[in-house]
Amino acid sequence: MDLGTLLLGIGRFVLSTTLLLLLTVPTAFIVIQIELKVIALMQLRYGPNRVGPRGVFQSTIHGFKVLAKEDTTPDHADRPVFTMAPWMVFMAAAMSMLVIPFAPGLVAIDSQISVVYFFAVLGLSVVGLLVAGWASYNKYSLLGGLRSAAQMVSYEIPLTLSIVGLVVLTGSLSFTGIVEWQRIHGWGFFWQFWAFPIFFIAATAEINRTPFDMVEADSEIVAGFATEYSGMRFGFFFFAEYVALFIMSSIVVTLFFGGWLPPFFTLPDGFIGTVLGAIIFLAKTYFFVFVAVWMRTTLPRVRVDQLMGMAWKWLLPLALVNLFLTAAIVLIFNLKPVGG
Amino acid sequence: MTATDPETRIPDPIELDRLEEERLARAFGGAQPSTDGDQAAGLRPEFAGFEMVGVPDRPPQTEREKEMYTLEEGEMLLNMGPQHPSTHGVMRLVVKIRSEMVTDLDVVLGYLHRGIEKLCENATYTTVLTYVDPMDYMSAMHNEHAPAIAFEKLYGIQAPKRAEYIRALVVELNRVFSHALMMGFLALDMGGITPILYSFINRDETVDLLSAISGQRMLFNFFRVGGVNWDVNDEFINRLSRWRVNQAKSIGDNEKLITENEIFVQRTKGLGVLPAERAISLGVSGPNLRASGVPFDVRKAHPYSIYDELEFDVITQPGGDSYARYLQRVAEIKQSLHLIDQIVDQMPHGPVQAQVPGIIRPKPGRAFGAVESPRGFYSVYAISDGGPNPYRFRMRDPSFITLQVMPVLMPGHLIADTMAVMASLDPIMGGVDK
Repeated sequence: MDLGTLLLGIGRFVLSTTLLLLLTVPTAFIVIQIELKVIALMQLRYGPNRVGPRGVFQSTIHGFKVLAKEDTTPDHADRPVFTMAPWMVFMAAAMSMLVIPFAPGLVAIDSQISVVYFFAVLGLSVVGLLVAGWASYNKYSLLGGLRSAAQMVSYEIPLTLSIVGLVVLTGSLSFTGIVEWQRIHGWGFFWQFWAFPIFFIAATAEINRTPFDMVEADSEIVAGFATEYSGMRFGFFFFAEYVALFIMSSIVVTLFFGGWLPPFFTLPDGFIGTVLGAIIFLAKTYFFVFVAVWMRTTLPRVRVDQLMGMAWKWLLPLALVNLFLTAAIVLIFNLKPVGG
Repeated sequence: MTATDPETRIPDPIELDRLEEERLARAFGGAQPSTDGDQAAGLRPEFAGFEMVGVPDRPPQTEREKEMYTLEEGEMLLNMGPQHPSTHGVMRLVVKIRSEMVTDLDVVLGYLHRGIEKLCENATYTTVLTYVDPMDYMSAMHNEHAPAIAFEKLYGIQAPKRAEYIRALVVELNRVFSHALMMGFLALDMGGITPILYSFINRDETVDLLSAISGQRMLFNFFRVGGVNWDVNDEFINRLSRWRVNQAKSIGDNEKLITENEIFVQRTKGLGVLPAERAISLGVSGPNLRASGVPFDVRKAHPYSIYDELEFDVITQPGGDSYARYLQRVAEIKQSLHLIDQIVDQMPHGPVQAQVPGIIRPKPGRAFGAVESPRGFYSVYAISDGGPNPYRFRMRDPSFITLQVMPVLMPGHLIADTMAVMASLDPIMGGVDK
């Protein structure tokens, strides 16, 4: 590898990382705004309508507000860990954005093992939540941290297992490869319609959304791991949560709903295709963000033992059955994956 | 007498504090939680006693308190409230937990104590009715009804028939929105955020009606000794019939969100089961008692006002669990709507206020008035010494009594269930602390 290629690679990495990091904040703002407005709609309220035209800057103002707030640390807190925890959670969410294919060619790192990378990096956030709960010197935080560890470790398994079937079918561990396979064979949902609900439920639990928001169940343990956090440190947790919602929706779209692929026509090549693909991708993604908000408005929270029971008694066996059936079908019909 | 006379001088508060601290230090003696074990385990000294945060800063007063605040290996105290997102006001629960499992629970009260009983003893009989409103603030009409009954008995007058019908109408309206709010709060305490908004829309419609005849939205001050403040007119009856249609629909909307919801049912069925005998022995009343299968309703057992002229049955549920308590409320909303229909149909014409003097001076004696409030058996006991104020004014608030089942129900449940059980009992702290 000559120096030019190396420099080009480094430059590409720095540029794309910076762009994605910059992208996380507006993404969180948009997702929060959607949540505020959609919940208001479903609860027969107006929702925010004062800041900016029709209140569109409400979440932005919220974001800047947390910057202005005092940042406190409890007396007995484990200072270095307490300070580092929000950063770990936020970076886990932001770094997993690196491998999301927004459009043909519009992906920061087009790795051959991006699926493995994605789940490995997203799994890091549990460490952040756990140490946040542990370092806060607060019983609610402690319970929240322990809940998050139990919940996310349990749901990581069905989450990852449910897509192994798709990986076997497509023969690719790359998100781009999986989307390309779907371009030829149709959306993953039609091939893996059984894996989709498993993945979606596990993903909802993985990012602590209602009805699986035990980790920060406000009616039980106040704010869980985030109880002692204030100011921008809390803001990082908050952003990370909404960025994670966006990321999970985009992964659902990428794996099961054809990523950037439009439903009835093929994308033109070149710049227009990229832009059109990105628009289609974002539209699909925000639809699933909407579904998550819809679920939050409708459903109460499940209890912690029911949550664990669901992961181990239902999702995990179903994911295994799905993997077995998919592998059997691939073997019996001798399907040739494009990538393999 | 001089200013330094120890009998009469006003004590210095700072000195009192110091004396109290010394007394506590003496009383604690060796009872302070030992930190030796923690230091042996290598914990930093400031973490010692972490599991004990929430213990009262005084020695245990009773055997029960001693048992509650003595921790075994692996147990921890979790203090919920008085500032907690879901303790229905300023209730404080100290929960003894082993991991997520509740092993014991202590309800600490008194954060909303306003001395309403004493205020009432210093007020004239007519002004008492303004003080009782903010007690159980979800059912202000019932709060006024019981003293009105008691004072009328004491003074020996009878409210006119139309006034009694209007009273029954407004208390049933009050019951509707109180139970409707309970549906929302129960869902909210389990993480469902929408039903409470529907409940408040619901409440708003009802409160608009009540403010149309009473002039106020929350603390109505509508009852008078010997009648009610205002009459209802045809316009009000028209609004009531429109409200009747809306209400049935919006309660139905809320029910669709909650009653058949799989998660809700899973989380409330079989939770916090209160057997009938236990409920009776603990003095539970109202919907909570009827949800345990005991058909006791003050409106039927000791009919007051015009309830013996109305047709209704005492509804009960078989389960005794949180879900049964929820279903009981929903059934009672429908029953109240049915009662309102009857009241409007049968309402006679006539005056709404009996002739009473400005300052009522009943003959010495005692009287008792009890109503079925949305929380249960709410009663007032008043003693007159012939003066313009009640000599003694005692209120039995049902939520205060109901709260004592929490330590009975909770052991063996999870932390998450604490709130679901508490919300299903529907205590209102304004009434508990008085």
